[in-house]
Amino acid sequence: MTDVTLTVNGEERTASVPPETTLLKMLREDLNLTGAKLGCDVGDCGACTVLVDGIAVNACLMLAGQADGKKIETIEGLSTLEEYHPIQKAFEEVAALQCGFCGPGMIMSTKALIDQGEDLSKQEIKDALSGNLCRCTGYTKIIDGVIDAYEDITGKKVPETNPREAQSAA
Amino acid sequence: MRHRGKGVGCMWYPIGFTVLANPSAATVKINEDGTATLLTGTVETGQGSLTVLGQIAAEELGISTDDVHVVSADTDTTPMDTGAIASRTTYVTGNAIKLAAENAKQILFEVAAPMLDVRPDQLEAVDRKIQVQYFPQRCLPIADVALQAQFVMGRPPIGSASYNPPTVAMDSETGQGKPFSTYVYATQCAEVEVDDETGQVDVIYMSAAHDCGTAINPMLVEGQIEGGISMGIGFALQEEMLFDDNGQQLNPNLTNYIMPTSLDMPEIDVDIVENFDPTGPFGAKGVGEPTAVPTAAAICNAIHDAVGVRITSLPATAEKVLKAIKARDGGEQKALPAAE
Ligand code: FES
Ligand code: FES
Repeated sequence: MTDVTLTVNGEERTASVPPETTLLKMLREDLNLTGAKLGCDVGDCGACTVLVDGIAVNACLMLAGQADGKKIETIEGLSTLEEYHPIQKAFEEVAALQCGFCGPGMIMSTKALIDQGEDLSKQEIKDALSGNLCRCTGYTKIIDGVIDAYEDITGKKVPETNPREAQSAA
Repeated sequence: MRHRGKGVGCMWYPIGFTVLANPSAATVKINEDGTATLLTGTVETGQGSLTVLGQIAAEELGISTDDVHVVSADTDTTPMDTGAIASRTTYVTGNAIKLAAENAKQILFEVAAPMLDVRPDQLEAVDRKIQVQYFPQRCLPIADVALQAQFVMGRPPIGSASYNPPTVAMDSETGQGKPFSTYVYATQCAEVEVDDETGQVDVIYMSAAHDCGTAINPMLVEGQIEGGISMGIGFALQEEMLFDDNGQQLNPNLTNYIMPTSLDMPEIDVDIVENFDPTGPFGAKGVGEPTAVPTAAAICNAIHDAVGVRITSLPATAEKVLKAIKARDGGEQKALPAAE
């Protein structure tokens, strides 16, 4: 057993786990934070996305021990009892999600992207979410939600593009 | 070289099968604060059915959707439902809910009629009020009527009902009959780009026009259509289960069973072609499964338009498309221009 101490959503949490425990397993089973989902357990789907020191990672691919001493953000840290996080609000507003299983991962990937503070185009948003699979929605309303959240949080605008032209230039 | 092409796919799809019993039941209870509780055996899988079913109950009772508390799918306690299958929920379960709400409302009308000095059939439920038709100023809050019904008249306003699209046996001689209650129709158009050196197909744009009867919640209808298109794109170009001779799946992971990501999705225009169906709740039919039906056909037609080859088995992977292009060119090797 190894003792692993994480700062999860601003709170220091310690658990004693077998060394092969993934960060996802520790979050879900030892810390009882079941927001990050176990989809594939092999890094394909992104349902387990959490932020480690601000970077979006697949928690199923990282050992808990590797995260020792690091700052972890999960979906549970975003909203308060009174209020949603602006990303969650934007997702709700456009009905971005359907079954919601991909939701925590999508939202954490979005947070990592917006937190970088770069100017974003629609294509860059699609790139950033390409590691998060969604079976239900076709991604369209999720991308709309990300654009709304980005514009709301940063006050910037995502440039309008004509997708039918843009694609053939690429 | 990359070639553009456009293609069209059309479909019809049946809603509410009638060859077997296909019932849904529901209970609607109006509470003394003017809200309502809806019990249904169907289950929400993300498509938004409970929202739509709550809207149907609210519309019938003249209250807001926020006033309806939906209790779903604990089969121990909720009324029977055939299931969240076959794109039947809005149509079949919706009809049951509308009838149940009507029954509950009838009790309110009977209780309110003497209070307003009219007959029950002269009343309507609008804006959280029971009011006299054409005389909206003669009205009572639903909460007051429900309270009166419950505690003074001793008639709690509860309605239960079931709906079963009339079962019609098929003629065993001819195989003819009426297997479904109603049908929906749709056309999708695809614009693709095909690379004739690699066979790679990119979907650039899709437009989708769907008839779903009355769109009770247009935003959710759009979500269903966009999701269906992504499934259709996977079906058309990417998704294939591969098995070895022992029936073992060769690609059991999402690493090698490839499904669409955000990068595979084209721009989509959705057009909801509303059409009132007299047999559906408030004219609604359904939208779920039909959304994925015409997509692959539209894409394969677009591939034909772009490079002149017919792909007749799915998915139209790059290998398959390239092979077809080579066969079209009589197997001659195409000379690649020298690199500059
Ligand atoms: S569960 Fe981690 S990527 Fe799928
Ligand atoms: S909403 Fe169901 S997987 Fe994304």
